[in-house]
Amino acid sequence: MPAALPVGLPLGGVIFIAIFVLCFGAALLLLASQLGTRKADPVKYESYECGIPVQEKKDTKISVKFYLTAILFILFDIEIIFMYPWASNFQEFIRTGQGGLVFGSMMIFIAVFIFGLFWEVKSKALEWD
Amino acid sequence: MSMDSFLFWFLAFITIASAVTVVTITNPIYSALALAMTMVGVSAIFVTLGAYFLAGVQLIVYAGAVTVLFVMVLMLFDLKHELSAFSRGQISGTIKVATAAALAGLLIGAIVWTVSGFERVVSKPAAPDSADGMRELSHALFTKYVFGFEVLGILLLIIAVGVVALARAKGGTHAQR
Amino acid sequence: MGNDAVEIAINTIKLVVCFLLIVQAVPVLVWLERRGSAFIQNRFGPNRIGPLGLMQLLADAVKFLHKEEFAPAKAVKFLYYAAPVVALVPATLAFAAIPLGAPVHWDQYVFPLQGYEVSVGIVFVLAVSSLAAYAILLAGWGSGNKYALLGALRASAQVISYELALGLAIVGIIMTYGTFNFGEMIHAQEGPLHFSFMGHELVLGFLPNWGIFYQPLGALIFFAASFAESNRLPFDLAEGEAELVAGFHVEYGGFKMLLFFIGEYGHMIVASALMATFFFGGYGLGFMTLAELSASVATVVQDPNIVSLVTSLITFAVFSVKLAVFLWIFIHVRWTLPRFRYDQLMDLGWKTMLPWALFNTILTATLIYVGHL
Repeated sequence: MPAALPVGLPLGGVIFIAIFVLCFGAALLLLASQLGTRKADPVKYESYECGIPVQEKKDTKISVKFYLTAILFILFDIEIIFMYPWASNFQEFIRTGQGGLVFGSMMIFIAVFIFGLFWEVKSKALEWD
Repeated sequence: MSMDSFLFWFLAFITIASAVTVVTITNPIYSALALAMTMVGVSAIFVTLGAYFLAGVQLIVYAGAVTVLFVMVLMLFDLKHELSAFSRGQISGTIKVATAAALAGLLIGAIVWTVSGFERVVSKPAAPDSADGMRELSHALFTKYVFGFEVLGILLLIIAVGVVALARAKGGTHAQR
Repeated sequence: MGNDAVEIAINTIKLVVCFLLIVQAVPVLVWLERRGSAFIQNRFGPNRIGPLGLMQLLADAVKFLHKEEFAPAKAVKFLYYAAPVVALVPATLAFAAIPLGAPVHWDQYVFPLQGYEVSVGIVFVLAVSSLAAYAILLAGWGSGNKYALLGALRASAQVISYELALGLAIVGIIMTYGTFNFGEMIHAQEGPLHFSFMGHELVLGFLPNWGIFYQPLGALIFFAASFAESNRLPFDLAEGEAELVAGFHVEYGGFKMLLFFIGEYGHMIVASALMATFFFGGYGLGFMTLAELSASVATVVQDPNIVSLVTSLITFAVFSVKLAVFLWIFIHVRWTLPRFRYDQLMDLGWKTMLPWALFNTILTATLIYVGHL
């Protein structure tokens, strides 16, 4: 591990507060469960369905659009992630004279992105009805 | 034990424990959630190595997109078939452990054989100019490897087209509810 | 976390205080929401318990603590109980990374007024915010109710769609300031407004150098997308009270639901804090730089430690005012606009916000490139 780096993210603090929040929430839930009454009633434990008895169908199909949305999200998220180092160093690149190359390469990348988005909209892949 | 090494061992323990949980637990949703925990652990180890941007990207892409996809998709299924199809018993268990041990041995052997051929470096690596090492990353990415960067964009486009074609072939894009 | 015991102790206390700030802001926000919505709807809100109804949420919290606590029979117990606890974590981690005031210089220590200082600030905040989808999915699946599951899938699809627009709207502001670090961004927003384009300078002395004047479209897209991220109206079909009863948290009652609401208000607070940091100068006063403020405080107080402390408190107060303005806008919009239908919502995210955010990025890049020629 290189020893000369300034600490850019105090990991101890992040882990501490994450564990603290989890314990705080768990403690509150435990407190709430101890303080409440406890009266068993079979109706209480049924799943909520706006007051009617539960109608269990054997196979409820769920739309495949959730899968499509998630995959397209991953793809476009990766493209956006690539824009971050570009954006944070853009002015620096211009100062060192490579602005044209960097600007051009990212514009080609964004063109591919726009083409992908345009194609995906036109092919009605995400029409929610 | 110093703070740094305690942190490393803690994170290593969490990551490996989550990874073992991914493989051994029978319920697929718990397995996917353990995978998310593994990604978070790997991201934290990236932070200890000083790669802050990469740790953030690991969290955004892997823990925040890919495993969310896994969990969402697993919720679309009826998992009783999956749970009953998991093979149990001594013979299958032995085969599983033996395969994993053989692969792990192969990997460790390859690493040890490679590393033993290195020379010991006596100077420390040069410290990066900026606090988060971003300048080196973006300089390399957009000047030296710009072709790979463009090809990556086209690869993502191909994946998008393929996914929509796949979903449509199975009759999916205009929904059945 | 610090080199010696005092520093570690103070940093630990700061972290816990950051978390408790969110938890304590929730009663105030709920009061503001209930009285504010009543004002908008021309009725009284809660006005019986305590002066102006301020004790209402204390009474509500005590009531929630004493409610009966049970899990439905078909619930997956571990996930059902874990989901509300997990819902608190992303908002807290994100809020602790945002600077709330100027750093305090005390003797040889420097204490930044945030839980921890992150050099890749905005990437870290986006990363932990993207983990918010898990709480929703765990709640929906763990309830064992197919309507909760449907609500959870829809809510998480909405959250991830608007995360794209959110991430892309920020690219413009990162280009403008050239850094991910929040402290540097706030520092760059000091002083009067000045544009420089192709060698010509334009200085508008009466306006501060805030990000909103550089990135108006980015600010608009970011603000709208953050409504969707925290599931607030007009994007709250996932928990729409009249349509879906309560969406993914339909099987939760009592204190577990309160934890979900702390998480939702926490996301609102983080979105408002980010809005203030990126586009409205963060904790800086518009008309005075930090050095000038420090100097004017030093004319009143002698001890440099106290000067630094008073400066930090003033900047913290300024930040709180900005935060309150945005939170009020959140609440005002909730009670003014009607709710979007789900397909309108997804269309808006993919077909309107994403292209406009891309356009904003291209425009900003072109202007910066041409402006430096």
